[in-house]
Amino acid sequence: MIMKRIQWIIRVVMASLRFRTGRSLLLLAVIAMASSLAVALGMVTVSMERRISDEVRKYGANLLLLPESGRMDLGSGALAFGTLAEPAWLDATAVERALAGQGGRIRGYSLHLREPLLSGRVELPVEGVRFDQIRRMLPWWEPVGRWPAVESEVVIGADLARRLSLKAGDRIDLTGSAGVTAPMTVAGVVRTGGDEDRLLFIDLSRLQALSGLEGRVSQVRVLADARSGLLPLTAAALESALPGARAREVRQVAQTSATLLKKVQLLMILVTLVVLAASGASVTGTMSTTVLERGREIGLIKAMGATRLGTVLLFATEACLLGVTGGLAGCGAGVVLAEAVSRSVFSVSTEFTPLALPLAVTVGLLIALAGSVGPMLSVYRLDPVKSLRGE
Amino acid sequence: MEETQVIIRTEQLGRRYGAITALTSLDLVVEKGDWLTVMGHSGSGKSTLLNLLGGLDRPTEGTVQVAGQDLSGLSENELARFRREQIGIIFQQHHLIPYLTALENVMMAQYIHSVVDEVEARGALERVGMGHRLRNRPGELSGGEQQRVCIARAIINSPALLLADEPTGNLDGGATRMVLELLRELRAEEGFSIVLVTHNQEVAAWGDRTIQMDDGLVIRDDLVGGTPA
Repeated sequence: MIMKRIQWIIRVVMASLRFRTGRSLLLLAVIAMASSLAVALGMVTVSMERRISDEVRKYGANLLLLPESGRMDLGSGALAFGTLAEPAWLDATAVERALAGQGGRIRGYSLHLREPLLSGRVELPVEGVRFDQIRRMLPWWEPVGRWPAVESEVVIGADLARRLSLKAGDRIDLTGSAGVTAPMTVAGVVRTGGDEDRLLFIDLSRLQALSGLEGRVSQVRVLADARSGLLPLTAAALESALPGARAREVRQVAQTSATLLKKVQLLMILVTLVVLAASGASVTGTMSTTVLERGREIGLIKAMGATRLGTVLLFATEACLLGVTGGLAGCGAGVVLAEAVSRSVFSVSTEFTPLALPLAVTVGLLIALAGSVGPMLSVYRLDPVKSLRGE
Repeated sequence: MEETQVIIRTEQLGRRYGAITALTSLDLVVEKGDWLTVMGHSGSGKSTLLNLLGGLDRPTEGTVQVAGQDLSGLSENELARFRREQIGIIFQQHHLIPYLTALENVMMAQYIHSVVDEVEARGALERVGMGHRLRNRPGELSGGEQQRVCIARAIINSPALLLADEPTGNLDGGATRMVLELLRELRAEEGFSIVLVTHNQEVAAWGDRTIQMDDGLVIRDDLVGGTPA
């Protein structure tokens, strides 16, 4: 019986909407426009977050894991001679285990060991890295030559290469603190415009062996998810998992991106709210006109014995049907709009999220129902005798 | 008269709208199955009486009982229930829902009462001679046809009392006679009572009894008896 009644209501509502095709289409267009904007803005926000994350990724890491070194201040009172710091390292295995424990929050990382090596009698600043990690973390590095393919190949910073008159294909012998000398070949020369231009990059395990620091690293650069205040949480979690380590945010990068995201999101929320309010007002106007026109019909339904709530239910169903249909249409339009805006303004393609569909339908329903509150109150209060007389 | 034989009983029934008195101290008893015609000029209180009998309005004085129910003490929802279970209404201007077909207009009354039954609704329209116009909308029907759809809608839930407010006011002579004959036939078959408001003496002659109203008062109460030729 309930199903029959529901089917009947839908049949009546559909007939009513068809009868007022122009007005129904206008309402649908308003609802679809509002929900499409909400969907588009939501999808653009998501795309921008991804875009900013990509930008952050271009900068490299947003967290640094450093060993907690033993420190001792020398001197007393006004007589201070400085700080004596013990060199300290992190255990590479423990670090990788801790990073793996953070799940999806970690987007990438690179292990670094900074130790000097001798080339003849010249001490060179050398950084041991895993080149596959460097290529992922710093994809814009383009060495002249190529990336090392074997452990005995190195990449040299452009300034250092010029000082040592080295180029891709040249040989260089490197001697570590353990006294062992390893013959190496320059695979490529890199220019970054930063400190890296003055460094020599060699395979991490080779540097560990030459320096007698197997399994040790002096710095870990981490690219973590910076959205919605996650970064401090990740930093705290890493410090907790690695008692001998300090996790520092690369503030310039992380804070800039987070602040930009917040501003963009606030702007988008405000625009969405304004559009929703305007659409709601438009729905109210159109529905009020419809109720005025249908006064006799409402009076008749009440005169035939429908309760006030029963009469309102018919109009609420109409509003719901418009809301759902408008929301669905808005979802499709929103996806197209989001793609257009993202491509033209942010040069990034949007990614369809399944949440767009319930979001669009919810927005459509909310606008249709919120906009119909006033008209439905009129329906509720309408006196059948007066309305049948045409008053 | 036994209470079980009474469809309408009013005692000192009155209705005022502010300073305006629309109905004054009406004592009226109508038997079940009777056809009561209410006559009077505009503003005489006919429609006010009809609204009070149909539970669409509340009296400011006295009581009104219809089908054994005292309407004065009923809540809004109870009055709505009373209307859908006991009352059928026919209007001068038909008041059919414009976007529904003839069949759907009748089914709407079923929906308000309980549950829709297309077969039963079709049967009601066939009884009033509208079986060939089931799928037509009101705009596609003549005045007489629309009124027949109204009658089918009014009787579909087997009301105890049929209220007809100038049902032939917009019809020509032929259509008027057809509608009145239909009402007479249906009353004989269904056994409902009729209260019909009209200005027309010829229409009034179709009823069993006529009351004449003026300025909110019943000034004449005649048993008509018989049927016009």
